[in-house]
Amino acid sequence: MNQEAITVKNLSYKYPDGTKALEDVNMEVYEGERIVLVGPNGAGKTTFMLHLNGTLRGSEGQIEIFGKNLEKMKREEIVKEVGMVFQDPDDQLFMPTIFDDIAFGPINLGLKEDEVRERVEKTILSLGLSGYEDKSPHHLSFGEKKKASLAAVMAMEPRILVLDEPTANLDPRSRAELIGIINELNEREGITMVIVTHDVNAIPELADRIYALNRTMIGTGTPRDIFFNGALLKQNKLDVPDVFKLFEVLRAFGLNCEKLPLSLDEAVSGLAKIIETEGGHIHLHIHEHTHDEIGEWRSKYEHH
Amino acid sequence: MVNYPEIDKYSSLDSPMHRFDPRAKIVAFIILIFAVVLVPNLKLAFIALIGAILFLIASKLPLRFALQHIKWVFLFVVPFIIIMPFTVSGTEIFNFHGLTMTYEGLEYGILVAVRALSAVILVLPMIATTRFDVTIKALGELKMPNMLVQMFMFTYRYIFVFVVEFQRTWRAMAARGFQLKTNLYALKTIGRALGMLFVRSYERGDRVYQALRARGYTAKPKTLVEFKMRASDYVWTVVIIGFAVSLLIVSFA
Ligand SMILES: Nc1ncnc2c1ncn2[C@@H]1O[C@H](COP(=O)(O)OP(=O)(O)O)[C@@H](O)[C@H]1O
Ligand SMILES: [Mg+2]
Repeated sequence: MNQEAITVKNLSYKYPDGTKALEDVNMEVYEGERIVLVGPNGAGKTTFMLHLNGTLRGSEGQIEIFGKNLEKMKREEIVKEVGMVFQDPDDQLFMPTIFDDIAFGPINLGLKEDEVRERVEKTILSLGLSGYEDKSPHHLSFGEKKKASLAAVMAMEPRILVLDEPTANLDPRSRAELIGIINELNEREGITMVIVTHDVNAIPELADRIYALNRTMIGTGTPRDIFFNGALLKQNKLDVPDVFKLFEVLRAFGLNCEKLPLSLDEAVSGLAKIIETEGGHIHLHIHEHTHDEIGEWRSKYEHH
Repeated sequence: MVNYPEIDKYSSLDSPMHRFDPRAKIVAFIILIFAVVLVPNLKLAFIALIGAILFLIASKLPLRFALQHIKWVFLFVVPFIIIMPFTVSGTEIFNFHGLTMTYEGLEYGILVAVRALSAVILVLPMIATTRFDVTIKALGELKMPNMLVQMFMFTYRYIFVFVVEFQRTWRAMAARGFQLKTNLYALKTIGRALGMLFVRSYERGDRVYQALRARGYTAKPKTLVEFKMRASDYVWTVVIIGFAVSLLIVSFA
């Protein structure tokens, strides 16, 4: 097993106005893992995230980053280890041009001028932002701003990257591109990822492991563990990928499918396998239980 | 897309003023602007105006763009031209129901107007020929206090975010049938909308600060700049400051 990158023990946090946003939260993330944090609106996901780089400090509990107590780490040290991509890129792109913004972090790390330039150039290339250097954020599309804010954090070369709803409000193409970039950074550079998202269809592509948060951690496991835990999903108003739902329906119509797919890729290989074993075709029909099963299926996803 | 009121819309053109080093450009034009607003008589004021127009021409900025910015100044200046002739005492030109218009007053009104016009025209080759962020950096290089430079920088960045937010609020109000009228209801509604905008800006300020800290902000950020004076920069500096000094010498000698 890899080294522990993030350890959170018994973390609690109360906002000054008395809102108990987190209670006794625990989490363990290993180096190189991709963790997705899910939870309904107001579950405390953003609040939790803000603890991971010391922006907020819990009233109780402890956080360790690569074995070091966060409380005892210096600001520069934390910032070097944990990069944070905020939800609204306008909060994050505060400099007049993209170049200045990407250079901002490295300058704060105390790098020399030519090193800063080198980093900026490298980051711009690796995120496909060439030609945007001198542009102002207000001339960029939302998707471009999102990429630029990721670049601004990546230029600091953190070992852990925390992203708050990275795919929210993106058009399908930018969304796919961003998911690709996140996975590539994980694969190529071994960056540990903590991704907060509502985008259930993206989870199978993004998660090695899921943590479900609702003020406290209510479950953890592989996407498969979580998506098969009907009670947990229902109690916490969590959704499952569309492909998964579709195959549940197909199963009610008699599809002989043992392992429900979570992503389109899995669906393709799963279907191919079924067709092969069934002798060249698949067989769907309405049988006596179909309507009951569909009814059950519906009620499972009605969160009232 | 949003239509931003951008002073640096034409900063990517090419002209001697665009190529002029931003630091030297700011210093030289500020000196000239001071000289221009100090000229004591109409003859010198018109010479200054001609000079200003020449610099504007040298900057190759589109006339429409220039007029757009100059017209606002007129709103401030016109009252002077109208009021001055009646308030300064001197040789009477005519008398209208007890209001006397004087020659000295008229001259003074025109003098004020021409000075203001020249000064504003000069602002365009100074500011509109450089990307605004570069202008801010140049101010930093000229040893403007870091705090002010930062304020300019963040203001410049977030003014656009604010414009978008304001327009969004305004459209949302219009979409639900709100019309701008001068009654109590309309005023109350606008007050509330502005209040919301204020709260939202405040919350954004919080988040921006978190994001700044997350990238190691320590209240003394630096930016990388590359300014270099070339021969042509010195020539222009001498020409502009020389013109300013000549105006001052003729004025006060
Ligand atoms: N600045 C704040 N002051 C007081 N309460 C807050 C503040 N920010 C968030 N909260 C509350 O804390 C809870 C968790 O919020 P948040 O972490 O933003 O949830 P999520 O990101 O999961 O939607 C919510 O009940 C929210 O209303
Ligand atoms: Mg949130």
